[in-house]
Amino acid sequence: MSFSVHDLRYHLPQHYASLYAYLNYRAKRALGALGSDNFELDQVVSHVIEQLTRIGILGTGDTTPPTALDSFTNAQFYAFLNRSIRNKAIDRLRKRHALTNTFTELERTGGEDDEISMLDTQVESLWGSIPYSAPEDAAIEAASQESLRRLLKDCIKGLSAAPRQLRALMQELDELGAGDLVEDIRKEYGSLFDNTSAEPLAHISQHKDHAHKKLRHCLQKSSTNLAVIVALRLSEYEAPIMGAIFSVEVKTLAQENLTEQDVRAGLRHLAAEGLLVWHGEETVEYTSEQRKRLARFYEEGE
Amino acid sequence: MNDHMQNEGQPNPGHSRQSYIPLARWLQEVLAIPTPPSPPERTSLLETGGHPIEGYHPQFYSQIPDFVAALLKDDAQATLRYAPLFYHLIGCSTCHTAYLEIYDAMRAALATGGEAQIVAPSSQAMALTPPRMLVYLCQLQINSARAVLRQSRHDHVDRDAWARTLLRQAITISAYIQQSSLRVRALQDLVEVATLALGTGDAEPAAHSYSSVVTPGAGVRKGVKVRRRAEMLDRPMDGEAIDLESGSLEGLLTQDGEMLELRLHDLDESLRGRYLLISIPLGALLEPVRWLGKDPHAIRSQVPVDAQGNLKTPLGTTDLRLTNREDRHMLEAMFKKLDIRPL
Repeated sequence: MSFSVHDLRYHLPQHYASLYAYLNYRAKRALGALGSDNFELDQVVSHVIEQLTRIGILGTGDTTPPTALDSFTNAQFYAFLNRSIRNKAIDRLRKRHALTNTFTELERTGGEDDEISMLDTQVESLWGSIPYSAPEDAAIEAASQESLRRLLKDCIKGLSAAPRQLRALMQELDELGAGDLVEDIRKEYGSLFDNTSAEPLAHISQHKDHAHKKLRHCLQKSSTNLAVIVALRLSEYEAPIMGAIFSVEVKTLAQENLTEQDVRAGLRHLAAEGLLVWHGEETVEYTSEQRKRLARFYEEGE
Repeated sequence: MNDHMQNEGQPNPGHSRQSYIPLARWLQEVLAIPTPPSPPERTSLLETGGHPIEGYHPQFYSQIPDFVAALLKDDAQATLRYAPLFYHLIGCSTCHTAYLEIYDAMRAALATGGEAQIVAPSSQAMALTPPRMLVYLCQLQINSARAVLRQSRHDHVDRDAWARTLLRQAITISAYIQQSSLRVRALQDLVEVATLALGTGDAEPAAHSYSSVVTPGAGVRKGVKVRRRAEMLDRPMDGEAIDLESGSLEGLLTQDGEMLELRLHDLDESLRGRYLLISIPLGALLEPVRWLGKDPHAIRSQVPVDAQGNLKTPLGTTDLRLTNREDRHMLEAMFKKLDIRPL
């Protein structure tokens, strides 16, 4: 018996029994003495089934896009399942030990090495070696990496339609010590602040809440980051020049993990920003002046 | 281009990591998604029941393997390319935990080089899979479909095909569950979620809304009452009909060759002498039935309701057979809701 990601995606009813049998077999091994406990086995097996469902693999056919897992060999996919089972089994073993510990803690003399400390060490070192293993690490990256700061600034600029919200947010950033970001934004989008009053802002927390909501939405939608990537490609691409016009085909931009659909989304965003004139054509044409503006759109602080 | 990206992607060398902490903390606050309360430790797998999956963000979760693959390839543009997901991970603890698990498992998988020997038990049949695992998968798929649909409505994005596929899978898998009470449990939220997926919730109210009665075995149900009603309805042999109920009203789904037929009884005065419009909301989910008029939401009865309140009308043809257990279970699921309206 063997099943592949393809089997699970396109022929789930025929392969679910084999998937279950395999996961159950691995879970029994990973749980050791707890492997005879059906409840614990179910906890481990169902966790992996849930994960595969959430990723969009189990029985979804062509309705979800292929993922990196779809390109795995069978051996790699089985190794993926084995590791997932093992990690969940460790989690269950830790929970069981913690429960037992609660009852026996007062009777213990302490100092002895036991299974739980081994498990703790194992899991901590596991996650510890993963990039952005804590959300704080990801937040630091978002605050410090220039291209991600570019997105943040672009989203803040998007608040200009609601000047009070923009002002409240800038004030908040200034107060929390992100003065360099505020300075950058003022330098770059100075005209946005021309009409803002120096009067104290009433209902500031309400304006801040609205601004946060819009910012959250903007940062998690995909067109902004695609625009930055496409702007970078356009500004660096050695496009053939016809007269004073650069010309590049959309499909040429769609390389290195960017689909044509992604490129078009990015181009639409850039056109909406007024950085390009593009109405869905197969070829993008732009002047050297527009090329400079595209470069500025990407590069921070200009 | 990559060299440039790597340079552009680096933090400003004039700033220390420390100097970015206030902005990072603020970003965490802005992006924070309230963590759903941890459900109490369940005592059995079936306790998952009809509870929606909390903290599941389908549009981000499904991107995690690709983001991880980009990181494992040291792609300098990974965080920018997957920026929406990256920002989401800052504020969503559920998705961040999934990211950690998937990263670790993918890293281990890629380290095998694709040549490792697979040690696995021999091939398995669905009949050997514990029914609770089948129920669990059906519930999981229905709840995932609900989450996909909710998120789609929120984002104004069409992911209905994904949701419909999940519901179809749930129906197909449920057909292998032999115990009727577990089958009912497996599909308990199907109609509600399918109504969201198929957009049939806005139709004018039905005169009567029937639902199939899930039988414990082929055609055996409820003893005396059924037998009495069966006589009145000219009921076929056991196992060749599915009972339908709408309050005190009863009906049958029967089969004549490939043709599925609907038989209703005791319909009220206002419907007698009138043609009916029959809607089978879940009929659009599965392909095996070729509905009369092609639209399962609008099947016109071929004859009017007679003076005694009876109706016998064809619905469509199918290769499924009521006498086949799995086929019958699938039809039971499809007829979990059947609405009639006067024309």
